[in-house]
Amino acid sequence: MLRTFKKFFDLCGEKERKQFFMSIFLGVFHAFFAAMRIPAVYVVIKAIFEGGLSEKQAYVSAGIIFVSIILQTAVSMKTTMLQTRAGFNTSSFKRIEIAEHLRYVPMGYLNDEGLGKITSVATNTMESFSGIAARCVLVISKGIITTLVIVLSMFFFEARIAIVALITMVIYLVGTEFMIRAEGEDSDAFTTSQDSMVARILEYVRGIAEVRNFDLFGKSITDVDSSIDRFTRYSTRMESIYEVAMFFLNILTKLSGIVMMIMSIAFYLGGSMSLVYTVMMIICSFMIFESLDQVGAFNGLTRTIENCADKVSEALMSPTMDIDGKELVPESMTLTVKNVDFSYDKRKIIDGVSFEIPERTTAAFVGPSGGGKTTITQLLARFWDVDNGRILLGGTDVREYSYDSLMKNFAFVFQNVYLFSDTIENNIRFGKPGASREEVIKAAKAACCHDFIMELPDGYDTMIGEGGANLSGGERQRISIARAIMKDAPIIILDEATANVDPENEKLLMKAVESLTKEKTVIMIAHRLQTVENADQIFVIDHGKIVQHGSHSELMNEEGIYRRFISERKEAAGWKLGSRSA
Amino acid sequence: MEKGNGNEAAAQAVLNRSTFGWLWKFTEGKRGTYLMSVILALLGVACMLLSYICLAELIRQLIAGGHEMSFYLQRGVQIGILWILRYVFHSLSTYSSHSATFGLIGNARKKLLKKLGTMPLGAVQSRSSGEYKNIICDRADHVEPTLAHVLPEFTANIIGAVAMFIYMMTIDCRVGLWQLICIPAGFIAFSVMMASTPKYYPDTIKKTKALNAAAVEYIGGIEVIKAFGQSRTSYGKFVKAAKEGAECFINWMQKENFWQNFGMACFPATMLGLLPSGVMYCLNGTLEPADLIVLIILSFGTVTPLITAFGYTDDISKVGEIISDMADILDEKDMKRPEKSRAVPRGHDISLKDVHFTYKDKEVLHGIDMEIKDGTVNALVGPSGSGKSTVARLIASLWEVDSGEIRIGGVNIRDMSLKEYNRHIAYVSQENYLFDQTIIDNIRMGKDGATDEEVICAAKKCGCHDFIMSLENGYQTICGGSGGHLSGGERQRISIARAMLKDAPIVILDEATSYTDPESEAVIQSALSRLTEGKTLIVIAHRLSTIADADKIFLINSGWVEAAGTQQELLASNPLYRNMWESHIAVRKEEA
Repeated sequence: MLRTFKKFFDLCGEKERKQFFMSIFLGVFHAFFAAMRIPAVYVVIKAIFEGGLSEKQAYVSAGIIFVSIILQTAVSMKTTMLQTRAGFNTSSFKRIEIAEHLRYVPMGYLNDEGLGKITSVATNTMESFSGIAARCVLVISKGIITTLVIVLSMFFFEARIAIVALITMVIYLVGTEFMIRAEGEDSDAFTTSQDSMVARILEYVRGIAEVRNFDLFGKSITDVDSSIDRFTRYSTRMESIYEVAMFFLNILTKLSGIVMMIMSIAFYLGGSMSLVYTVMMIICSFMIFESLDQVGAFNGLTRTIENCADKVSEALMSPTMDIDGKELVPESMTLTVKNVDFSYDKRKIIDGVSFEIPERTTAAFVGPSGGGKTTITQLLARFWDVDNGRILLGGTDVREYSYDSLMKNFAFVFQNVYLFSDTIENNIRFGKPGASREEVIKAAKAACCHDFIMELPDGYDTMIGEGGANLSGGERQRISIARAIMKDAPIIILDEATANVDPENEKLLMKAVESLTKEKTVIMIAHRLQTVENADQIFVIDHGKIVQHGSHSELMNEEGIYRRFISERKEAAGWKLGSRSA
Repeated sequence: MEKGNGNEAAAQAVLNRSTFGWLWKFTEGKRGTYLMSVILALLGVACMLLSYICLAELIRQLIAGGHEMSFYLQRGVQIGILWILRYVFHSLSTYSSHSATFGLIGNARKKLLKKLGTMPLGAVQSRSSGEYKNIICDRADHVEPTLAHVLPEFTANIIGAVAMFIYMMTIDCRVGLWQLICIPAGFIAFSVMMASTPKYYPDTIKKTKALNAAAVEYIGGIEVIKAFGQSRTSYGKFVKAAKEGAECFINWMQKENFWQNFGMACFPATMLGLLPSGVMYCLNGTLEPADLIVLIILSFGTVTPLITAFGYTDDISKVGEIISDMADILDEKDMKRPEKSRAVPRGHDISLKDVHFTYKDKEVLHGIDMEIKDGTVNALVGPSGSGKSTVARLIASLWEVDSGEIRIGGVNIRDMSLKEYNRHIAYVSQENYLFDQTIIDNIRMGKDGATDEEVICAAKKCGCHDFIMSLENGYQTICGGSGGHLSGGERQRISIARAMLKDAPIVILDEATSYTDPESEAVIQSALSRLTEGKTLIVIAHRLSTIADADKIFLINSGWVEAAGTQQELLASNPLYRNMWESHIAVRKEEA
């Protein structure tokens, strides 16, 4: 439990941690103000047994309770605000920290799956953090501290009974810790069964077309039912362990109350305790452990806290790079690569590569998939940092630029287009914040977007994304090109694959690319023969090395990957389905 | 304003009714167990009440001056036993409600997954796998705390409090009522608090949504943001949203702070009325001091459970929301196909007659007629959004026609069982799913019980064998994300091998000819050629040159078959087709 608490408080900022501690500290006072009903009762009972019951006791007891209500309200107002501030601010600061962290994560490192996880941490996890986790930690720590203070102060009144209370408390806490540990093993089995159920269900759902197509119902691959049953079994088992533990903890505090009660009566009968005290002890013996009972009830949630904390630290674990260089303007747009090595996952992806791309020339990268051509283009724009060697833009190492000032020089066209759920106009304007509508339309026209945009219900104000326009792959591509045109960067990095684009779109797409790349330094992963042929330089990349380099005509005269590549492409372009002769 | 509130209240009432309606439906089959859980909870309450009665007797004896220790010991033991019984019942009660709830959740999961097998596949795919995971895996579990705790604890807490109150009333009803004096104050405080909810709650919802949207945008779009050198600006926006997301809750809490805490302090303050009134009645001789002491002790046990009970009401509506999400899926229309086929098709001619289809309340096919001959190559072409994919998916039985009919070998496909029908069709799309299994098992799925030789033979035909053998674990390589990193083209070839093993007489290629992996285009093309050899083939292709030799090309435009015929016929007669062909050629010319 202590480990969980440490994780929780480590997650909080300095100020928030202090606020939480303060709130726990004041919480103990709150418990005491709430316990003021005991002196109020004492006043009345004392008068009953010792004679002299009068209206005075009515006023005094009512007065005490009244004051208690006021004090409780005052203190809990303070603690509520402390907790609320600390809880919500912690999650807000953590969210910001995650966002800040992402700025420094190498772009190549990011993928959809990882980003999805981080998004879920920044939204769901942080929400349960400010809610459940904070509350759980506070209730538990307050409960323990309050009970401890009550038990210790009992020593001043009646040491013999206080000892019983103290022993009970120790057994309770040891028992709780024991319960968490005992749950630990089963809880691992439980988590495993949950993970495997989720994995099975996801497989089934993602592969549902195949499941139906090949009639895989009831086959072992799709045996979701047994994994669901197993999870149900483990959930029930976990619950029964929890119930048994809670049963013993509850019985412990109640029986201990009875023992204290009987002891008080024995002391009274033995003459060592007054009747007033005895009756008061009987009343109190069932109240001492009130706060402790809540500790038990919230214990089941400690795992949630730990989960939250672990997820957040995981999200912040990805490597970072230094992006705070100088605001530089490159002297030229020439890119120079010198002896660059790069590894990922301990696998060497780029192996001692050197080349130069002069300003306003076009370089095409070709080669088999997995050969490293994508990684090379990514290194140029510092999606990663190289392991060895240097990459220079205009003679200056790309690491010396601040990231934003480096990025000013690049525009990208990726295969995966990300558009914001905003209007089309704003999506295009993202390339140049503050651009006028006319500029946006000009870029859209250049990227062959204008016509289809005007056909949309709200034209340029049409929202993209959920509840908005459903754009085809080709249309999204063109909007992303318009965005890149808007940016008007001197270097264009382009992945040319035109998968999933119908003929009308393909023609427009090519026109759009043409307007984007005019007069620019162009670096492309090329698939179309014409673009390759017209490139000033062609680099053939295989196994992380440049295996061929030159112009189209030079390379066609060499035996090698390039010539094979070209002939295969020609063949593929002429392929026909169903020609029975083939 | 008044009227608006009235409407809102009415809407809320409907919502609540349906919430409980859903709950009622959901608990079907386990209601007995829930009833048992409630009965056990009530038994627990009875034990608690008895223990208090014992305690009261003990106190009376003590005050009356009873000096026999054995009496107190006896009572102490009795009370102890009653407490133990109380917790035994309580634990049994929560255990049974939990096991019932876990069982229900498990059943709901099974039902939902089974449903995905019987509703039109297209409808299944209108939700993302993430959404299904969210509903079936994550949110389903959220039903548990409420459903499993509410019934037993709500009953135990409320009935327990009421029973204690009644018992107190039998001792002295005046003091019993006086102790409630602080309740109105508490209620007033809480109603003031609730009254401010409509003012602040929508703001927190709005800000939280904005925050979540900002997070999705910033994190999901981080690549674009960085690429455009706008990480600073976008980061600033996110920071603002994050701060506002926290501030709105803090603000709300600040406004409600006093009322909430005042209410929380008032509710349990039963002593405020009990003590003075008790003293007064003792003074005028209408109340025994011993009774007063008993009342004091009983009163401590009355109010706290009530507060616990009210904490649950909020959760019930959340559970309703989750269950209604599940019901949305379960209420989807099933495919209307018999368990056993009523007729056997003769040959594999396919004919569509006056097929209409509506998607999301919009008719997208307005009466399609098509005749496809056994063993021929047929292409569906048309502008994007024309409906050509929908036609192919209807033939593949991924969707169900609204009206009109599709026949195969003379048999209406609605007279065939889905299982039987699927045997006739191999549907190959761009993205066929590979399971997180070995490559050999993934291919074997095409044919139940296929031997290793058959699998390898299919793999060889599809140009997979060489790259599979070059993998460290060969055919035993795991395909999923955890295993070997297969490229898009490699995955596509494996799925083609699987389809080949299935050896279905009708093959539908739904844009399977556009490649995610241009480098392996040639190999995929020859794999597809082998797969489709001698089959009845329906292909949707973007590159018109691919299908230039087809026996029949159907030009689909805005939900109609605009023209049908060979390439030559269409070029001669149809301007739209000619146009499409020309723009295609313009792009290709430089390449070929």
